[in-house]
Amino acid sequence: MKIKAKLKGDIVKVKALAKHDMTTYNQAEKKTGDRNNANFITHISASVNGKTVFDASTSQFLSKNPIFKFQFKGGAKGDEISMTWVDKKGNTKTDSSKIK
Amino acid sequence: MLRRNFLKVGALAAASAVVVPQLSATDFRATKPDTWTAHTVDDAIKALYGAITPIESGVTVGAPKVASNGGAIPVNVTSDIDAKTVAVFQDANPEAAVIVFEMNEGGIINYDIKMKMGASGTITAIVEGKDGKFYKGTKTLEVALGGCEG
Repeated sequence: MKIKAKLKGDIVKVKALAKHDMTTYNQAEKKTGDRNNANFITHISASVNGKTVFDASTSQFLSKNPIFKFQFKGGAKGDEISMTWVDKKGNTKTDSSKIK
Repeated sequence: MLRRNFLKVGALAAASAVVVPQLSATDFRATKPDTWTAHTVDDAIKALYGAITPIESGVTVGAPKVASNGGAIPVNVTSDIDAKTVAVFQDANPEAAVIVFEMNEGGIINYDIKMKMGASGTITAIVEGKDGKFYKGTKTLEVALGGCEG
């Protein structure tokens, strides 16, 4: 996951790119013949200093390698932002970056 | 991340599939499962929020008028409403729900996502305000090349 976080004024702007195929049910059926092979990120969240700043439940209709841009208040330069996603098959990935 | 560690994390995740690092968060896929299988926007909204009549103001949905690539349509949702949740739906794909954001302290409703749409349609964003009211914004767009079959 690529994460870029920048402090502007008192707002932290974050841009994150998660690497994931985001296979829909239809795509899975077409490619493998089984709808249950669909796999996509189902939940993604971000936290700073143990506080959740971004939290989303997602469906298969996000693009492949989905991009999330969000903003929040209450972060400082140098703070570490940590993001985690979970997909339908239970894989998880966590990455972090420093707020610039 | 080292490959070894990555595998370890993967194995651990498989062993304890239910234990998710974020504890304060709501997993709307678990709490509102019907939302994600509903085929129409109205049904999905009903499954998520119940029978509501949203006010059609206060929410702005931004998207290109004509999307050349239905596989990755940039969508922006903004609102100044003090909100609990923000949900995005569309009516072009087999199911309607796209994403549900849960707002946290210090959160700002200004989200950019990229989504798939199989055909031209309308994107609907619902904002659940802390005042108990619901607000709605929509954006209709044309999709030149559908992105759901991949």
